[in-house]
Amino acid sequence: MENILELNHVSKTFPQSDFALEQISLTLPYGAIMGFVGENGAGKTTTIGCIMNTVTKNAGKIKLFGREMTDSDTGIREKIGVVYDGDNFPGYLNAVQLESIMQGLYSNWNSALYKEYLERFHLSPVQKIKTYSRGMTMKLAISAALSHHPQLLILDEATSGLDPVMRDEILDVFLEFVQEEDHSIMLSSHITSDLEKIADYIAFIHDGKIMLTTTKDDLVYNYAVMRCKESQFEKIALEDIVAYRKRDFQTDVLVANKKQAERKYKNVVIDNVSIDEIMFLLVKGERV
Amino acid sequence: MKGLLKNNLYAALSNARFFLEVLALFGIFAAFVLSPGLLTGYVLLCMVGATVIAILSLEKENASKWRKYKLTTPIRRSDIVKSYYISQLVWLMAGSILAAIVVGASIVLHGFPFDRYADIFIIPVAGISVSLLTDAIFFPTFYFGGEEKSEVFLIISVCCSIGIVMGISGSINLLWGPDMTVMELFIAAMIMLACAVIGFLVSIPISIKAAAWMEY
Repeated sequence: MENILELNHVSKTFPQSDFALEQISLTLPYGAIMGFVGENGAGKTTTIGCIMNTVTKNAGKIKLFGREMTDSDTGIREKIGVVYDGDNFPGYLNAVQLESIMQGLYSNWNSALYKEYLERFHLSPVQKIKTYSRGMTMKLAISAALSHHPQLLILDEATSGLDPVMRDEILDVFLEFVQEEDHSIMLSSHITSDLEKIADYIAFIHDGKIMLTTTKDDLVYNYAVMRCKESQFEKIALEDIVAYRKRDFQTDVLVANKKQAERKYKNVVIDNVSIDEIMFLLVKGERV
Repeated sequence: MKGLLKNNLYAALSNARFFLEVLALFGIFAAFVLSPGLLTGYVLLCMVGATVIAILSLEKENASKWRKYKLTTPIRRSDIVKSYYISQLVWLMAGSILAAIVVGASIVLHGFPFDRYADIFIIPVAGISVSLLTDAIFFPTFYFGGEEKSEVFLIISVCCSIGIVMGISGSINLLWGPDMTVMELFIAAMIMLACAVIGFLVSIPISIKAAAWMEY
């Protein structure tokens, strides 16, 4: 089965800005969740903008459901649900008015499902959105994104700013969504604990470039960090180093094959590594 | 398109409630007091005011990511632009109906309220022309110049459209002199309306073209 989303060498520059997306390539298979990780300003939102055509890419190809989406490809957008960070909808609306708008935009809008989500998330249908808390706003956006039966959810920092209980509740909804094998999620976030819970693939972006993209299992089981003394660091083969960071008396070295490193470098302490630490080493560390 | 029109309606209604209440009170006053000047002002206020209020509601979308969000839904950018123009026409119609009710009430109460019979045609035409030209100038500048400057563009659009209408009427006065016949007045009003309608129609593809370049 082909991928639900493919980005091939996507680039984007902005006039009056040094920031640029450079040759972004990603693939998201059907039935998978991809965590898109990067610090603030790394290019996550710009990449999502290129995918959704809210930003015009300068080069590269983006395929959604096997084909490139233009402005007139409304059929493709019927199959995508999007949630942005913060206020997705105007504050003067309430949930009922929002529904009547959405019904007019999506041909397969499911009112019963929308009401079900409103009840599940304890959202008042008549309360103005401007009086909602941040958590309520995000829940409403997720309800709206799911109520037209999308196959692909694109979530741009959809869990940031939410308390852990609320985040957990929302992550459960995402896990339910991907129970269908043709459903996928692209979740951009800098809260790596969320991605550790639900993602199948992780892509790291930094300064507009993809630093690493692999499966979460690969990161958890194969990636590791070696805590080296100066003399130990000098003996490490360059091809084994993904990134490293020197500290006062120790150098942390990110390696992609823990078992091989354990065999090769017997006297070095090798720890399992969290996504947070990988991100830290990729962003702050040096690459060879 | 239906969803977009509903969205524009909700946005404008959130702005228009107070304005409509004031217009209703002012309308009662204008209908009861026999003053051609007051009634003329009321007719123009209804038409131009409805247009301005509807445009001001666009500003409210800037407070959220709604404008960007809409682009992720199954609608074309051109449909979003067209929905704004259609909504503006609906609000102009609403303003015109309100003005017609008050003028009608004034006629019932006092008889014909204007100085010339032609005024009952010319004044609404002037109001409609200013409204259509305001839309015609505002939307392309809104898309080309940046949405965050929408209030400035609105003021410029209203001033320019009033200027254009006054310019057209001044030119016609120069051409036909101050003592125009009813037929000449009618033709002059039709020229003004035609200019406004052409301006309105021409600005639609320009705005669509500009909206295609917008990045969010």
